[in-house]
Amino acid sequence: MSHTDETGTRQRDTGDGLSSSDDERPTIEPTVSPSTAALGVETLTKQFGEVVAVDDLSLGVETGELRAIIGPNGAGKTTLFNCIMGTLDPTAGTVYLSGDDITADAEERRPHLGMARSFQSNQLFADQTVLENIRLVAQTAEQGAFSMDLLRSHHTVGRERAIEIADDVGLQANLGTEATNLPHGEQRRLGIAMALATDPDVLLLDEPTSGMSPGATAETASLIEDIRDERGLTVILIEHDMDVVLSISDRLTVLDRGSIIATGPPDAVQGNQVVQDAYLGGMREEI
Amino acid sequence: MSAILDARTQAQRLLSESSPAAKLGGLAGVLLLGNAAVQEPGLFIDQAIGGLVYGMILVMISLGLALVLGLMGVVNFAHGALFMLGGYFTYAAMASYGIPFWAALLIAPVGVGVVGIVIEVVVLRRLYGKEPIIGLLATFGLTLMIEEAARFVWGASAVQPAKPAFLTGGTDLGVTQVGTYRLFTVAVATVSVAGVYYLITRTDFGLSVRAGVQDGEMTEFVGVNLPLRFTAMFFLGSAIAGLGGALRVVEFGIDPGAAEEFVLLAFVVVVIGGVGSIFGSVVAGLLVGWAQFLIPVVLSALAVITGVSAINVQGISDLIPFLVMIAVLLIRPRGLFGEEGLLE
Amino acid sequence: MTEETTQESVPRLPTRLERYRIPLGLLVLVLALRPVVSSDLLLGYNAIASKMLIMMLFVAGFNLLFGYTGLLSFGHAMFLGFGLYIPAIFVSNGPGLLPAGGGVTFLFGVALAVAGVAAYGYLLGRLIVGMGEIYFALLTLAFSQAIYFIVLRDPAGLTGGSNGLTQGTLPAFVEQTRGEIAIEAFGQSLDWYWAVALVFLVGMLALWQIVRSPFGRSLVAVSENEQLARAMGVNTTRYKIWSVTFSGIFSALAGVLLMIQSSGAAIENLSVFTSGDTVLMAVLGGVNYFFGPVVGAFSWLFVEDFLTGFELWQFPLSELTLVTVDLSDILVYWQFLLGALFVVVVLTAPEEGIWGYLSSVAEWLRTKLTEVIG
Repeated sequence: MSHTDETGTRQRDTGDGLSSSDDERPTIEPTVSPSTAALGVETLTKQFGEVVAVDDLSLGVETGELRAIIGPNGAGKTTLFNCIMGTLDPTAGTVYLSGDDITADAEERRPHLGMARSFQSNQLFADQTVLENIRLVAQTAEQGAFSMDLLRSHHTVGRERAIEIADDVGLQANLGTEATNLPHGEQRRLGIAMALATDPDVLLLDEPTSGMSPGATAETASLIEDIRDERGLTVILIEHDMDVVLSISDRLTVLDRGSIIATGPPDAVQGNQVVQDAYLGGMREEI
Repeated sequence: MSAILDARTQAQRLLSESSPAAKLGGLAGVLLLGNAAVQEPGLFIDQAIGGLVYGMILVMISLGLALVLGLMGVVNFAHGALFMLGGYFTYAAMASYGIPFWAALLIAPVGVGVVGIVIEVVVLRRLYGKEPIIGLLATFGLTLMIEEAARFVWGASAVQPAKPAFLTGGTDLGVTQVGTYRLFTVAVATVSVAGVYYLITRTDFGLSVRAGVQDGEMTEFVGVNLPLRFTAMFFLGSAIAGLGGALRVVEFGIDPGAAEEFVLLAFVVVVIGGVGSIFGSVVAGLLVGWAQFLIPVVLSALAVITGVSAINVQGISDLIPFLVMIAVLLIRPRGLFGEEGLLE
Repeated sequence: MTEETTQESVPRLPTRLERYRIPLGLLVLVLALRPVVSSDLLLGYNAIASKMLIMMLFVAGFNLLFGYTGLLSFGHAMFLGFGLYIPAIFVSNGPGLLPAGGGVTFLFGVALAVAGVAAYGYLLGRLIVGMGEIYFALLTLAFSQAIYFIVLRDPAGLTGGSNGLTQGTLPAFVEQTRGEIAIEAFGQSLDWYWAVALVFLVGMLALWQIVRSPFGRSLVAVSENEQLARAMGVNTTRYKIWSVTFSGIFSALAGVLLMIQSSGAAIENLSVFTSGDTVLMAVLGGVNYFFGPVVGAFSWLFVEDFLTGFELWQFPLSELTLVTVDLSDILVYWQFLLGALFVVVVLTAPEEGIWGYLSSVAEWLRTKLTEVIG
């Protein structure tokens, strides 16, 4: 993995600009060409009426990278995720998954192409057990977006795999609990488990530690790191907790008003004056 | 005046968004109507006025339905029952208490409005913000209750008060005689629909409720009592449906089945007009009314010209609202003037 | 069983008894229903038992769509109508080489009804499932109403219009003597109730298999959280379309039985009121449960028949005319209360219904008992 030590300032020009070797120059996002990255977006724009939520944004994430995206509320982080995952149609721009243009693929196709997400708010099959929540996703991953599998019992599909994944994220003690009755922290983990059950190459996590105690937050952070290491995943993480961001991410991208204002290794971005002025200072007060 | 301007911009929008094929279809429709009008002018005008009367009644029901749906996100299945109650209250006032028609025309809508308030406060308030399907189910249950109550009080068969003497005659329009009562219905309906339309789209009252839908907390912060205004809005929607029922019962009578029959038609109108558009409901109500009365005439005229009698389908008129709706949804799923994304 | 070797905390798979709880329950229901309802203490006559089974199947078919997929159909009578009218039209007319009144003619009619309803359900689904649940409810209602008017106006002279089809709609193997129906085939005579029970069991078991299959679980995922299902890779649109299709087939099957039960096709069965009653029965019974529609249909028909029956019993005693009038007043009152009960159920626990209430009471009793004993 090639890490660059620079931080970037607001930079709209994209091209195939790989990072510069000149130490004094800022990193240019995308750090890798979006069309060859594990996940890339090129000149992506999403407008809601007059409001521009994502503004001509380009981004490339390398295979195996753990990328954190931070930014104040309303910076367009979740909208970016929604565009990447096909929940929203971008107004303009392209989304690439390992070099393939997937902009036109339906939302339900994308998990089968190797990308999955967790949600900011706990999205669960609330009345089903933890096991069934994960099993349903495992079943879908195994059988495809639609399958007329009518003659078997559902117990025969995806169950073993669901138990394995629950084990991996530390939910093995809660398998029989209804999702809605889980404590908040476990619900967030269930979200990660369900995303893992799609067997993704690229995993998008939207604030996986929100609402957790400091202890649980640290646990979840190391869980995410472990998952990435064991499965060789590419992880993109929206996160508010700066400790998590600084400890586990390879690169950090700062979003403000729909655009990237800096990208680089965590320490460098943290030290960057532009970022401090525009965002970090403000956010500390916010927190 | 402003409403007319509003109508012009809306119509222009529709025209600019419609495909050449749709425009061609519109032209063909005009030609077919012209053909029917030339062949039998008397019948044509008769039917056109019949369609107008019917259409205005539909507009009166749909307006309240569209209001509650568009503004409060509740699908009020009981709206047809309110219309039906308007008819029954008028009948009761005139036939049982000997109250003159004029007074009944005032009392019945107010009575229906009060029933509407009770429904809003007791049931609908619990539904704001819930899934719309729950609202649909709950108000469906209310419909059954109101229907049963009506059957209990007034019996299962239709009732009809005597038409007031001064409205019984006909008015000569040159080519044909038209019942005076029908012209009276059109006049009352037009005035009340225009009044409600103005109130919603142009006054502080209407604007505050619409703002409250966008941002409830902010509007309350500004000092507007939103629940009260929602209730007032519901009173208005109920009362105008009740007035529709009052106008209709005198000419056609009313029976308990009217509740579901008319709420269904009102839904059809709202869907055609486009959910969220009050203006759309007005246009669609008239469109459905005229389509139902004029298409049979057009078909019979076309059958005469072409000599193909099969074109003159008997009994098609009940089916027409649904055919129009299916056609509109296939061509333009959000309805004629609907906003995208509502109810999806 | 292999699952016992996995970790303790893993919920074990259901035991054989638990797994076949529903088929066993259905069997008990079929065996017990007629003796119970036809006892003099209750309704006192036989025909209602088979009617109950038919409506149970119909409402269960409806609930595949509503309870299991989250799509509220407000026009389910139209699907019933396919099974009601197409075989009746076939048997009474005897089209082409098929003789009127023939058993084979009837079977062709049933096959066409099922194929027709499947094709119609699929196309309707494709057209309307993408528009959102409220549109789905209103559009099914509108399509159903359109079909009602077509059958009522009878443009092709097939449906008998407002009279329905009453003459010659029964195939030769159906014997009718003094209101009692029997199936005469292969030299055997089968009581109508058992014939219905057979079709009912086959239909309900098929439904049960659908909801326990991977396909059925995907339907549940769609109804519980459509956004999540789609994000996890479920093609929610296709599942919804097929749910409409299957639901239509089961409802049409109930329609075929209803046609024989009532010796013909009556237009009332196609009306918006039938569709509305379907919704009521399912919600009152509890849409979250497989047995919800069964309980809902049973309670509905039982209450309806118990009350009308009550009135009829008083009728011969002419000196008690006043009492009869009072009872009919109560009947009206009861239907009003039923509407009120429905509103309360919808406002408090829209998915639980009677079955949900009964199971929570049973659960409460169980915990109390274990407390007392243990």
